[in-house]
Amino acid sequence: MPDLEAAAIAANRFGYGAHPNELRAIAADPRGWLKAQFSRTSPPPPEIAALPAGEDDLLAFGRWIAARRLRNGNGERIERQAERQGVSDEELRMLSTEEDFIRTFRQRAVAAIGARISAAITTDTPARERAVHFWSNHFTVSAAKPAAVALPPSFEREAIRPHVASRFADMLLASTKHPGMLVYLDNWQSIGPNSPMAQRREGRPRAGGFNRPTGLNENLAREILELHTLGVGGGYGQADVQALAAVITGWTYDRPRLREYITDTPGTRSGAELFRFEQAAHEPGAHTLLGRAYAEDGVAQGERALADIAAHPSTARFVATKLARHYIADDPPAAAISRIAARFAASGGDLRETMEAVIDSPEAWTPQLSKFKRPEEYAISALRAANLRELPPGAAAAAIGAMGQRVYAAPGPDGWSDRAESWLSADLVYKRIEFAQTYSERIARADVDAVAIGEQVLGPMFSAESRQAVSRAESPAQALALLFASPEFQRR
Amino acid sequence: MLSRRFILAAGAAALSFPAMAWAQAGGEKKFVLVILRGGLDGLSALAPVGDPDYARVRRQLALDNPLRLDAMYALHPRLVHFQELYQARELLPVHACATAYRERSHFDAQNVLETGAPRPFGRDSGWLNAALAADANARGRERGVALSAQAPLVLRGPAPVATWSPSALPAPSSDTLTRLLSLYERTDPALATALQGAMNANALADEADMSGAGAARAPSALARVAANFLKQADGPTAAVLELTGWDTHTNQTGEQGPLARNLRALDDGLAALKDELGPTWRNTVVLIATEFGRTAAPNGGGGTDHGTAAAAFLAGGAIAGGRVHADWPGLAQSALYEGRDLRPTTDLRALIKGVLADHLRISNAALETTIFPDSGAVRALPGLLRA
Repeated sequence: MPDLEAAAIAANRFGYGAHPNELRAIAADPRGWLKAQFSRTSPPPPEIAALPAGEDDLLAFGRWIAARRLRNGNGERIERQAERQGVSDEELRMLSTEEDFIRTFRQRAVAAIGARISAAITTDTPARERAVHFWSNHFTVSAAKPAAVALPPSFEREAIRPHVASRFADMLLASTKHPGMLVYLDNWQSIGPNSPMAQRREGRPRAGGFNRPTGLNENLAREILELHTLGVGGGYGQADVQALAAVITGWTYDRPRLREYITDTPGTRSGAELFRFEQAAHEPGAHTLLGRAYAEDGVAQGERALADIAAHPSTARFVATKLARHYIADDPPAAAISRIAARFAASGGDLRETMEAVIDSPEAWTPQLSKFKRPEEYAISALRAANLRELPPGAAAAAIGAMGQRVYAAPGPDGWSDRAESWLSADLVYKRIEFAQTYSERIARADVDAVAIGEQVLGPMFSAESRQAVSRAESPAQALALLFASPEFQRR
Repeated sequence: MLSRRFILAAGAAALSFPAMAWAQAGGEKKFVLVILRGGLDGLSALAPVGDPDYARVRRQLALDNPLRLDAMYALHPRLVHFQELYQARELLPVHACATAYRERSHFDAQNVLETGAPRPFGRDSGWLNAALAADANARGRERGVALSAQAPLVLRGPAPVATWSPSALPAPSSDTLTRLLSLYERTDPALATALQGAMNANALADEADMSGAGAARAPSALARVAANFLKQADGPTAAVLELTGWDTHTNQTGEQGPLARNLRALDDGLAALKDELGPTWRNTVVLIATEFGRTAAPNGGGGTDHGTAAAAFLAGGAIAGGRVHADWPGLAQSALYEGRDLRPTTDLRALIKGVLADHLRISNAALETTIFPDSGAVRALPGLLRA
């Protein structure tokens, strides 16, 4: 007996909404359909695979910022670098007049966002894409910080995507070592106060009025404990933040040289390959973190500390709570959290098994629409329902931004909120309706049957009231707009 | 209380009645925050023309035809309405003013400006929201309104706030909205409340007199919408407007330069706010502030780079204006902060505390803890408001 209600829940609550005619196929085995999407490894969708490597993004950003500084008469730092690296004035002028670089960088950002949305629209494994986006929001690297503006797409592809069906500890390590995170949360500037580098810098005059970083920067360490693993109240104190910050001093990346901007060599290394442990910046000595002593052991000291933090019971609980909040309800039932946390702990932080625990939660299969879709989910599900496979680059990103969620640019390291109250405001709801109307007008032709689409993508969730409103619309475009703006399409 | 349907049917006209009735009742205190994002060149907006080093340091950035306020200070020639307000004692310029932040990153500086914490990323909510949460007299269902799609950090926190922003997409037809509202009312009260709120807000926005305002995103247009929110019955206590484009690294001078254009838009915006507020202006304080100032001397590109202290402005009928507040540090090389920037001598938090304490009657205990954490040593500036 095919279960259309369960199919609609699987498609909408766990995925990005159904394509027309997809529900019937899912209905044969909704849970199995979901679990099959979490194979251990899976090549990235073709749109994502086609994007340039992390190193290339870094080069493009470096060119852009250097050109901008020179153009703005703010180029003293660049000129000093040029002198040190033996780059001639003539070469430098090439950089500052090469407007192409600037255009290329902009296009690159638009292309990366377009690829993420396009992959989510066309994929046959939408639940896996949702999980990728969940985890890249958990480990937020945001373009809202200018220095990190180029990095979120490659961070997501290189540090998050490979690990969504493997181990949490691996994802934590990949995230912490990626240039995206090292830049976003400043760890590349963190220098052990007793390290050789700090000693060398002591007493050296500051050049050009810019402050040289001289000590520990706790930013990444604090957010690892607060946002990535243990969570607030997870049993750590300020001394633990400082200890973690100390053991990951020297975790940095190969920064491109000015000459590489000018020679225009494509960057081929992934962010993971750019990681570098800089012994000279590393704070020497043993540190005690969460009651455990970590002897001096170079990069392995920090790696061991992160492995232990990933296995901490508070991490299991914190991760389980966030997953349950994302998939089940804003205030998730305690029983579901406990079951998911137990599976996370028992499996050694295996994210495929943890995801199966979420899928197996009976609380996730009740017909009440307990979650309000975030703008990106909302837009993607509308575009999937309309079977719209190609979009002008930038159009969807702009629309999602107007609905309050700038893709890859969350306001802070805690990422986008997973609670309805953040999105169900007057202005943002109105902008969803504008989106629904605008896209409906673009899509609707005389032969588009919005009632049929509603039945196909919402199944039994399509309410009698909404069906009536859609069927009584004055035009195909209005019918589609009413479907997309209906409560059961905005919720899941 | 007007019913939803009545508002829907009668549209914008129905809403002007309660607004007028409220204005006659004399009304509560209002606060408007204008954030200038990018770093205002305070030495151009409020030029210390009487400083002996002014012409030497500022070179080509020294103003032609400045609007004199007193022997020491003059306004940028584009700030004509500011000058009128100054003469009416409704403008109080403040100079050499800065937050607690002393580095030069926009990102971190705006974070400090908005959170009110002494360090970047000290917390994830804003001082204005904390003040509205602490305001025992606040009446509106929503305590504040942001004229942007999302509430800026300064307005995030426990107190409920509204947002409104002009849209890039075409407006849905009123028929579609009516059908949706009816559907929501039957099946989804939360969406019904949100949509009704949006329709009310749009009616208020439509009601604003946009003649001569130009684009919907122009500061003067947004200021008029803000005024309509504030003056409605049980309207919010505070509004926040954000103006961008102040990061003038290049070509800062000139009649049509970016700085002159921005200052004119700001000037028009303040005039529009006063005009649209009507009698409510009497009970209003406006604070115009930026994340940091810019270098005292021009750079090689005829602009200025990220600096430290800037100018801030208080305006409004409630302000004891007509004077400049500054502990002037001077522009001599030895007086400059790190040899390049105007040295900060007034803590922006002291200014804001003075307004919040005297205007919104916020307790000192709240000012030192929830509003500006760890700021016990920063005393509120007294005497900013008309007695």
